[in-house]
Amino acid sequence: MKQLTALFLLTILSLASVNAQKYITKNGHIRFFSTTPMEDIEAHNRQVNSALDQQTGEFVFRVLMKSFQFEKALMQEHFNENYVESDKFPNATFTGKVSNINDVPFDKNGVYPVNVEGDLTIKGITKKISEKGTLEIREGKVYGKSTFNVLLADYGIKVPAAVANNIARSIQIDVDVTLEKLAK
Amino acid sequence: MKRKLFIAAGALALVGLIAGILVYFFVYNKPHKDYLKAEPEFTVEALALFEEFRADQAAASAMYNGKVIAVTGALTSVEQNDSFTVAVFEIDEGMFGSEGIRFTMLPESKDKIISQAPGTTLTIKGFCTGYNETDVILEHCSLVE
Repeated sequence: MKQLTALFLLTILSLASVNAQKYITKNGHIRFFSTTPMEDIEAHNRQVNSALDQQTGEFVFRVLMKSFQFEKALMQEHFNENYVESDKFPNATFTGKVSNINDVPFDKNGVYPVNVEGDLTIKGITKKISEKGTLEIREGKVYGKSTFNVLLADYGIKVPAAVANNIARSIQIDVDVTLEKLAK
Repeated sequence: MKRKLFIAAGALALVGLIAGILVYFFVYNKPHKDYLKAEPEFTVEALALFEEFRADQAAASAMYNGKVIAVTGALTSVEQNDSFTVAVFEIDEGMFGSEGIRFTMLPESKDKIISQAPGTTLTIKGFCTGYNETDVILEHCSLVE
């Protein structure tokens, strides 16, 4: 009987810890920034879906391309129609993991450097990326931040000659997510 | 003769300059669509819209993405921070919590949506940007009264 009770308790505990493993947000923020001597262009997306598994380090992002907001309507139009072809490829995704997740004590406030590795898919083209970032633990929430660069050519994005001087070949991507424990 | 040529060249330059200014203001600097006044192309029930995306994402994306649509459903909650206000119609519970329709409200519509009690049936219109495997997202949204 005692063994059964122990087993029962163990099952409950492990189930509870499985539930406590995931951190999510639906309001993640991704900004991209292109700078050339001619022009600076930036766009923001504040409806980014992201989930982080505390135990395995799995980290997923889902981004709707049409949700990027530009200052100028014309730029937004060109971005969607000519560059990322968002009618054909509505989503960009990242599926990967925090390779040093064990270095992040989720129960201790602090800012921890992390390495994130995985597959970034833009415009239907998937490339392996490995970038640095930080996970900050503060009052039970996880604040993830990273800045890295993406080469347009890697994802089959061609810049027409007419605007070649206005758009950078390497675009800076800033990721800023506040992940909260998934309540069940 | 020379004078005529001079005048013609001057007129041409002026036309060019005006064209340049027009292009700058109406093409390069053309304003974003006025989503507050935009007429919805479709009016749909929240559950039907969500199920359409879940059943066949490609077909629903082709139908709704990039269009202003009006969606009727029960308000579950309103999420807010410094940079946005999001109204939520929750429809299902998935692996990553609630799933449904998420509306980023226009600043002009913020106060109106905050004053609505959860559970109230509302129609919200906005620009559909697609389905991200958990939610259908609408941007630049406002309440249809």
